[in-house]
Amino acid sequence: MMEMAGRMMEEALIKIINLNKGYRLGEEKVPVLRDICFTVQRGEYVAILGPSGSGKTTLMNVMGCMDSLDTGEYYLNGFPIHTMKAEELTQVRNREIGFIFQNYQLIPTYNVLQNIIMPLLIRGMGHREAEEKCMETIRLLGISHRLEHRPSELSGGQKQRVSIARALVGEPALLLADEPTGALDYTSGQEVLKLFGALHDMGHTIVMITHDLNVAKAAGRIVHIIDGVLSEADASP
Amino acid sequence: MRLGEILRLVWLNLAQNKSRVLLTSIGIIAGSATIMLVLAIGKGGQMEVAEQFKNLNAGAIDITCAGDTKVEGTGSSRGGSPLNPGSPGGGAPLGGGNNNRLGGGMAGRGLGSPGGGPPGFGPDFASGMETVSLDEEDMEEILTCVPALGDGTISFSAKADVEGGSLDESVSFTIAGVKANYAQISNLDLAIGEFLAEENEEKKEKICVLGKGAAGEIFGSSYDAFNSTVYIDSRPYVVAGVLEEMGTVASGISPDETIFIPYATGIKYITGTDVSPTITVIAKDVAQVPGMMGDIENVLLERYPDTKFTLSDAGTKMEAASRSNETLQMLLIAMATIVFVIGGIGIMNVLFVSVKERTGEIGVLKAIGCSRKDILTEFLLEASGISLVGAVLGVLLGLCITPVIERFSIRVELSLTGMVLSLVFGVLTGSLFGFYPAFRASRLIPVAALNHT
Repeated sequence: MMEMAGRMMEEALIKIINLNKGYRLGEEKVPVLRDICFTVQRGEYVAILGPSGSGKTTLMNVMGCMDSLDTGEYYLNGFPIHTMKAEELTQVRNREIGFIFQNYQLIPTYNVLQNIIMPLLIRGMGHREAEEKCMETIRLLGISHRLEHRPSELSGGQKQRVSIARALVGEPALLLADEPTGALDYTSGQEVLKLFGALHDMGHTIVMITHDLNVAKAAGRIVHIIDGVLSEADASP
Repeated sequence: MRLGEILRLVWLNLAQNKSRVLLTSIGIIAGSATIMLVLAIGKGGQMEVAEQFKNLNAGAIDITCAGDTKVEGTGSSRGGSPLNPGSPGGGAPLGGGNNNRLGGGMAGRGLGSPGGGPPGFGPDFASGMETVSLDEEDMEEILTCVPALGDGTISFSAKADVEGGSLDESVSFTIAGVKANYAQISNLDLAIGEFLAEENEEKKEKICVLGKGAAGEIFGSSYDAFNSTVYIDSRPYVVAGVLEEMGTVASGISPDETIFIPYATGIKYITGTDVSPTITVIAKDVAQVPGMMGDIENVLLERYPDTKFTLSDAGTKMEAASRSNETLQMLLIAMATIVFVIGGIGIMNVLFVSVKERTGEIGVLKAIGCSRKDILTEFLLEASGISLVGAVLGVLLGLCITPVIERFSIRVELSLTGMVLSLVFGVLTGSLFGFYPAFRASRLIPVAALNHT
């Protein structure tokens, strides 16, 4: 049994067991996530679909090691996240997770290149080394000509590409995208989804949070979340 | 994150917010300029005091008579003091003085110089008061009765009209009648020639030594003055020497603008006996000065009962001047501290606003794995950077203000130490007040920070 569990943990990139999470509202505790059990295999492209207030952002925060869980277990790439301290989680976020946010979350005072290399600098890499390392990713995302520009000088689609580049440069085990097309027009949104498809084809594991079924359909697997409870669904293309 | 990379980010943030950096650092600019000038003014004050006292001997005690004394009968009590019972006594109670007020009283002193000479004291029967005038005999008495004293001299100063040299008309100068040992006691240095000698005093010669300023004003230069003749109250005096520049002095005769002549010559030709000389005695041991002052007063009171004397010692003056200078410096330092605290609070406020503005950025940095330590370091270095800019500008401002302050005759002595200290204090203040906002930034919860935007 133990051996099996060990193997499962070795194979699954994400394994969440009986996760519960709630927030206090005065004296009362409001449950947000209830008994979540969820597994993501390496190389999977999963969409977590749910309406506003369903708990999908809280789930993403927990999966992104930015918020704690009340009870349950969470393993990411073999790391027992539920037992780790804040500073250890910081390192996990830097090395294991690439975040792609709805509103890009680029640092406005840095140019495109400085934004992209930031995870590598945080990891302790030097400026030049980091720049060399990220050039391939920059070419892949087609933003080589925008490196000296500031975020305010880019279109929404370009900003999201920069955000994706930043998520990719650290070669994380998991790409975690929160409504990646939410702030984009249809065309730009489709381009981003195509890009996600390409990254998935390259072997990246992607977990995408969205409220839009059309967007979720781009993923290989859709998981519904309603009132903090997860349920699997078919992801028919 | 490597420190070098954090510094690059700090530089980026500061370079892109130049006006905010400048406005934030105003408090530090003011603080650094103030502390630099405080130190410079303090040092200037110290040097000023040192210069003012450089020709004062620390053990010097100046003795003057503070007023009249009551007359009881026609005689005098100056027949010798119990401390020195053998001092000359007797003589006519009313000497043949040439001055109505002083009366040339040689009473009991046996000096009997024609015309009164250096007088003792003479009665004013109408008021029942006598005016006391100290003389060489009093000085000898003091030196004999207070053995802890080393040397002594007597001098007076008066105003007289001076002509000669390049002067077109007569100009009033301070004339000091001094003994030969005055130069040594007052630490006067000669630029050219020699100081007055005993022989000049004995022969009441019309010879003089000019202060540097007086020589310049009368003859144009010290060299032109030497061996020339100057007319004091229309009498010719040969210039035997010219002093080095002595600067401002704290008390006594200011040597630069003074003409020194032999004491006896001055009494004879300038003042007559209407003079109130000062006896200056030198204590062998500076530490015993306060005790000696009591002894000196006792000696004088034996000779002149019911008379008030003013005794002042250079050491006390020096100490008082130094103390007042220190007080001024402390006041200025307190002012600089207040400016720094206000500047620091300004930095803290702006950094709090900055942290609030950049909460989203901090959230992103935390989300992508930036540690608390890195964020604390970055914000702290930003605070230090702003302070450094402020401190450097403050030092430059101080340098610009210095000539303006000097225009108000305040001595400012800038020093490298002062500049470095103001830089260090500026950066320290900014870093200290910047710590709390930086700490708050580092403690932000990633989710809360991200949701802030």
